[in-house]
Amino acid sequence: MIVPRPIGPRVVRAAILAAASVLLLAYVLAPVAWLLSSSLQTEREIVSIPPHWIPDHPTAQNFRAIFATGLGLAQPSPNGADPASGGFIPSVAGNLLPAMGNSFIVATAVVILNLLIGVPAAYAIAKIRFRGRGVALYAILATRVIPDIALVVPFFLVVRKLGLLDNLASLIITYLAITVPFSVFVLASFFEQMPDDLDRAARVDGCSRLQVLLRVFLPLARPALVAISLFAFLASWNEFLLALMFTQTAASQTLPIIVAGITSDFTVSFSFLNAAGVLAVLPPVALAVIFERYIVSGLTAGAVKG
Amino acid sequence: MAIRAVSHDERSAFGLLAGLVAVLMAVTAFPILYSLWISLFAVNLRRPLRMPFVGLDNYIAVLSSPAFWESAGRTALFSAMAVAAVLVIATLVAVLLDQEFPGRRVLSACLLIPWAIPSVANGLMWKWIYDANYGALNGLLLQLGFINSAMIWLGDANRTLPLIANAFIWKEVPLAAILLLVTLKSIPSDLYAAAAVDGAPAFRRFVAITLPALRPGFLLVALYEAMMAIRHFDLFFLLTEGGPGGASDVVAWRIYVETFRNLSFGTGAAMSYILALATLLMSYALIRSMAEKL
Amino acid sequence: MRSSPTLSRRAALAAGAAALALPAVTRANATDPIGYATWSAAVDQVKAHVAGFEKKTGLSVAYSNSPFAQYRETMITKFTGGAPLDMLWVSDAWLPEFAQAGWLAPIDPYKQLTAYDAVTADFCVKSTIFEGKQYGLTYYTDYMGFLYNADILAKAGITTPPATWDEVISQAQTIKSKGLLDYPVVIGMAQESWMIEFMSAMVYSTGGRFVDDAGNAVMQDPKAGAAMALNWLVDAVQTHKVLSPGCVTTGELEVLKTASAGRAAFVLLPKYRLKVLNDPAQSQAAGHFKQALMPMGAGGSHSTVGWMRFYGATPRGLSGARAEGVVKLMEWFGGKADGDYVFQKTILKDLALSFGITELYKDAAVRADLGSYGDVDLMSKQQEVAHKKDTISPWFGEWNDTHGTAWQQAITGKLSAAAALKTSAEKWATLKKAG
Repeated sequence: MIVPRPIGPRVVRAAILAAASVLLLAYVLAPVAWLLSSSLQTEREIVSIPPHWIPDHPTAQNFRAIFATGLGLAQPSPNGADPASGGFIPSVAGNLLPAMGNSFIVATAVVILNLLIGVPAAYAIAKIRFRGRGVALYAILATRVIPDIALVVPFFLVVRKLGLLDNLASLIITYLAITVPFSVFVLASFFEQMPDDLDRAARVDGCSRLQVLLRVFLPLARPALVAISLFAFLASWNEFLLALMFTQTAASQTLPIIVAGITSDFTVSFSFLNAAGVLAVLPPVALAVIFERYIVSGLTAGAVKG
Repeated sequence: MAIRAVSHDERSAFGLLAGLVAVLMAVTAFPILYSLWISLFAVNLRRPLRMPFVGLDNYIAVLSSPAFWESAGRTALFSAMAVAAVLVIATLVAVLLDQEFPGRRVLSACLLIPWAIPSVANGLMWKWIYDANYGALNGLLLQLGFINSAMIWLGDANRTLPLIANAFIWKEVPLAAILLLVTLKSIPSDLYAAAAVDGAPAFRRFVAITLPALRPGFLLVALYEAMMAIRHFDLFFLLTEGGPGGASDVVAWRIYVETFRNLSFGTGAAMSYILALATLLMSYALIRSMAEKL
Repeated sequence: MRSSPTLSRRAALAAGAAALALPAVTRANATDPIGYATWSAAVDQVKAHVAGFEKKTGLSVAYSNSPFAQYRETMITKFTGGAPLDMLWVSDAWLPEFAQAGWLAPIDPYKQLTAYDAVTADFCVKSTIFEGKQYGLTYYTDYMGFLYNADILAKAGITTPPATWDEVISQAQTIKSKGLLDYPVVIGMAQESWMIEFMSAMVYSTGGRFVDDAGNAVMQDPKAGAAMALNWLVDAVQTHKVLSPGCVTTGELEVLKTASAGRAAFVLLPKYRLKVLNDPAQSQAAGHFKQALMPMGAGGSHSTVGWMRFYGATPRGLSGARAEGVVKLMEWFGGKADGDYVFQKTILKDLALSFGITELYKDAAVRADLGSYGDVDLMSKQQEVAHKKDTISPWFGEWNDTHGTAWQQAITGKLSAAAALKTSAEKWATLKKAG
């Protein structure tokens, strides 16, 4: 096909790309925008029909309350309206920040343990020949096929036997068990792409297996490490069912539990609820956005082209 | 079989695997064996003194119940809708993100947002959006003039499954798109260069080169998403509790009802293992069928 | 697996399963703190009252709470897993199954607790009794109220609220025809724990029953069953279009929010919601919501459904030396604390949660508080004709699942009302037979 003016297709391409980008952005962001907008509305405005996409009277009262009560600067108003702001602040407002702290501790610990346990295991599966290697990966992944609901009660028994009820450690070990199979899977696939020569050359130089792993493979595997860390972090930050069962008090409750508590508290304020939702969403989204470039390269098969 | 001596390599492999094995044995092994064991008993917590061993009776009872097969049908329909839509949308997104254009980085960063949202917040958000009275979806459509009066969304039995699937798809597209993008990036660029020299139009290039090259990505995404969709519980729990009139009564929801509403832990466990087995069989079939075409 | 296991082998296996499935017995010392679990409501009030208890008695309490929507599941897991629990909140509908499962212990031996029965509403006392044994003291009680937006009625030229369900339809049609609201009636029929309360209120006021006194299903009976109520709902949705077909995903909370947005003329809501509806900080319709007696059906009355939540104790809590502290704590919350009904008054004032202690209705402060958002005499008049859910039984949870689905199918037109009730009744009969 002969194109008379070469500028034409480029303009068309740019237009298509722009339209597609806008469409994608709207699809991805609209629901979140709605959540954010409603968290900035008053309880009266939030039930307007039709709903207000942009608040008439935007207010940060929900967030102010969460931070003020969470940091111990103010008391919640258990019997309804807060006389100072005229807003409605449920009594659990003060639990949100501590719960965020708990979520953060759990997720961080799970990430660190995932790396400590997952990296050596993945390396062994990818690079060392041993009996049972063929089925190892599938056996590890198969532990995640059974629906969690069937496992809730026995998980609880394990946690109680270990004396970890209402202890953050109960969440750390169970989340580790849940996330590590996937981490090993991703890392093993990544290591497998690395040339065996690397391994052999280093071992000829007298390195032990552990030294090869630490000095040769780890530096190259950084994107994959970031990717699995993010996966483990998000999974831990978001988990609900097990946290619901193992935690009992504000000392160990994580953010999803507090948010769920607010949704079913009969004195609930919808705008406050959405503010709590925004709070739960922010940290994982921030992490995902910051480490975005690693996720693609971390999962890229054949990232090392030798 | 003669017992082979443990080689030096094997020793170091076992050493490296020790942490993983310890965690899985200490935390995961017991719950899995326990629930498997329980599935062989007529355990109803309301009758704590009467829990006979029934062998495979729970499995037989589940598999011969018409209600279970109706739920299974809904699970299959939900999963098919979800996986197909995720594949199509994610492919388009991946192709878009594979282009070089200003703002691409911002776009791909925004794309990750749904993936990162906690499922509790996700359910909460969609419940709001779909609300028949003051929901955002009705508000938007009314303001744009697409509809004249507020529509019933989740309350309409014909729309329930597709709408729940939509909420699921929205959250799953990002990861799927990234997995496909990774595959796209691994397509050697000389393939495209050759096609461009041949003067093949963009669409032909897409069909002839991109789609076949994406197959391993499709396999991975289809496998992962099917596993997620088949076992998906959160949205059914948060949005409809199986309603209206059983329209969203899928197997994952049934397991919950059997276990926690009816306190039939035996039946619930048996159903879980049936679902797990079905997931494994489906994965196997998917791998086989896609692998043949590779 | 062997093809024919011997009887003794079977017994051994059963013992193995039982050991796994039965509530694990947790050894507790008398000095361990009292494990007290509630759902996430009245958290600050409970905390403050617990602190008072600890100070007064020197005993320590480990108070924990979890979301109401998942509370029952959480407790089941904790009971099965042997969590250290002594006292907890229980919903009236769960009493039979919790008691059957051996998770609750009777309080009959403790006269300092049962003494309160004499000053507690009969309905509440009865609701804590299963198979002749009493399992706790009232935490709060309420009933389903019929509430209307007087402002909308006035705009439609309606001066008196409806007294019958037919009048609800005709007034709603007037409101609809004047373009004031598309769906003037808002009743929640989503699958959730409130669904049975909404249904029971309608069934009772139309003169029907789900289950007769002997515990047999009568819901399918066209004259004495639930058909009048269900037919009314179906007609309201499909014929008169005054109730949204979306009601099958409308939960109690959505009813409240719709009403507070001024988008409902007639609603069924727990009576305590009057306070929120008339609070300007939370409701656009503040000042407009009033209560009327539950409308009557043709052969019915103004009766409604009542419910209650209570403090129950576990076998661990009422064993040996632990019992003394747990009984004290139960009285501190469910009876008097320091000679007064402190907790009951606090949750009424802060959260509008009603009490089971009848003499509190005479308390001047209590009357003033209730009067600030409603008609106290009407409230107590309606309370007098509030009845316990007749469907409470060990198999309630299992039946309710099938029943709710069938009922929703009738409302959405997938099933006739008669067929839906037949499905419900058959499920009831099957479950009752299985015990």
